[in-house]
Amino acid sequence: MNYRHIKGNIFKSVSYMSGALTVLILIGILGTITVKGLPELSLSFIFSSESEIQGFGGAIGNAVIGTVFLSLLSTILATPLAIGTAVYLTKYSKGGIISRSLSFLLDVMSGTPSIVLGIFGLLLLVYYMNTFTGGFSLISGSIALAILILPVIERATEEAINRVPGDIEDASYALGATRWETIKLVTLPYALTGILTGIVLSIGRAAEESAVVILTAGYSQFFPEFGVSPSEKLIFGVKIAPFQDLIAALPITVYHSFEFPHLVSVSEGFAAAFVLIVIVMAINAVTRLIVWRRRIG
Amino acid sequence: MFNKDSRLDIHTFYKNMINLLNKDLRLDIHHLLFLSCAILTAAIAIYFVGFIFSTAMPVFESQGIIGFLTGTEWNYGKNIYGIKIFIFGTMIMTLITLLLAVPISLFTAIFLAEYAPSRVVYTIRPLIELLVGIPSVVYGIFGLFVLEDIFNLHVEPFLVSTLGYIPLFSDNTPNSGQGLLLASSILGVMILPTITALSEDAIRSVKHEYKEASFSMGATHWETIRNVILPAASGGIISSIVLGMMRAMGETMAIVMLLGNMKTIPSSFLSYGYAMTSKILNDIGFYVNQAEPRSALFGIAAVLFLLEIIFVALSRKIGGKA
Repeated sequence: MNYRHIKGNIFKSVSYMSGALTVLILIGILGTITVKGLPELSLSFIFSSESEIQGFGGAIGNAVIGTVFLSLLSTILATPLAIGTAVYLTKYSKGGIISRSLSFLLDVMSGTPSIVLGIFGLLLLVYYMNTFTGGFSLISGSIALAILILPVIERATEEAINRVPGDIEDASYALGATRWETIKLVTLPYALTGILTGIVLSIGRAAEESAVVILTAGYSQFFPEFGVSPSEKLIFGVKIAPFQDLIAALPITVYHSFEFPHLVSVSEGFAAAFVLIVIVMAINAVTRLIVWRRRIG
Repeated sequence: MFNKDSRLDIHTFYKNMINLLNKDLRLDIHHLLFLSCAILTAAIAIYFVGFIFSTAMPVFESQGIIGFLTGTEWNYGKNIYGIKIFIFGTMIMTLITLLLAVPISLFTAIFLAEYAPSRVVYTIRPLIELLVGIPSVVYGIFGLFVLEDIFNLHVEPFLVSTLGYIPLFSDNTPNSGQGLLLASSILGVMILPTITALSEDAIRSVKHEYKEASFSMGATHWETIRNVILPAASGGIISSIVLGMMRAMGETMAIVMLLGNMKTIPSSFLSYGYAMTSKILNDIGFYVNQAEPRSALFGIAAVLFLLEIIFVALSRKIGGKA
């Protein structure tokens, strides 16, 4: 065996070790969180609100609901705009300087540090517009998160549309369909899997975000309420719950175990983290299922 | 009868209007719809960028841009704001993160793309994608409640006893595991999957002919990787590293827990520091109502944002998008 082969083998083993190290790190992290969090987990821990147990800490039901509300509402807000923008950029724009700048802007948005978006939401939505949003609230948090995930959905949609074979679109035009009919009946149905994948991924992205949520949604130890109640501070004199009300989120519960260690114990923090990871993983699993079903049928 | 007619009328009216827009004014109502979506998105993005920079403007005017960037004092009472310490904190932390994460993720990517059998790839890749799905607060409490003890009791004493004669490895805070090394290790794990996955894609997309040509010249597998595949994939690899770097610089929640938040420029791998993002998060809640301090905190965000915009432009350039 000469020097060249020895060198090759050395780097081959370095590559193998790196791969093994990566897997070990992952198993180590997930294993530790599971071991530390599992003892605390119980049905009442997951499904009761903090106010029902001890006022602060002790349960995460309110945070689970809050995370679901925030991630769903923000996705509902962002999706139409994102898909519309993606269709415009791929099918209507001529690829001139303006659409290229828009594409650049979207890249900038998707790389924005979350703290920058967080303080933007805090100042604009929570302080300047508090008569509309009710200050720290579900709607403030959702709008800020929608800005965060808009580029994610937009990019996914754009890629999905670009993957549609040009042949079938040409066939549609050849049959006399207009551009809109082609988009509606050929392009979008074909790209649906990719678009759905992007939407589901962005729900997960919104669920795991913490810096934006802590600065815009606040926190609440109670389950969200529903209904309309009078309020002098808000525009129209009414407060529409849960939209203009404070809302909790799981990442913030996890953060509380760092911020208020005497109220929220470390094991509760890890249990909340465990539930959060399970939620995000379940969302990712749904994504895989969408892709997999498409491949079969 | 009357009702039916009027409905018909509305229908023809709608049709006529569409025709008018379509043919006579050469406008397409759906085109208009998508155009307005794009305009609204652009307006939000531009407003967002403008809002950050215009809120930060007063502090740039009162301190001067150079003064703001190079000043070392941050004092709300005296209205003096300089962010040199935070810039250095973020920069040094990001640099160490890259030193730790890039070699491991690059070799993992090479392993996945070149050496591993496909069965192994199909098990490992979803696992690596799982790492992306772990929220950053979770990395934070993992670092603080699990790794901090290990660093304090084992890693730091070991480094000090073996390499302590080098000033870069002195431990100024012997009772705590927090600091640059802990923060960078956690950040390294956070950006590892990003760099690995994107680099793997880049390596896989290198044309097969290149590889075969190299083999036919008698090159070994490693020589082919080193001299043919990596150079051909370098664009994608570098932009994956830039992306990882952006994520490290912008990370907030984990860093606020792990870096120690001490207002000094870190002097060794084990000392405390203070990152730009941590400063914003720690102070914005108290000062959002006061114009001067708020502007100063937005100033940090503006600097961070500007760096990010530069890196985005850079990675688009490398990635081939104009």
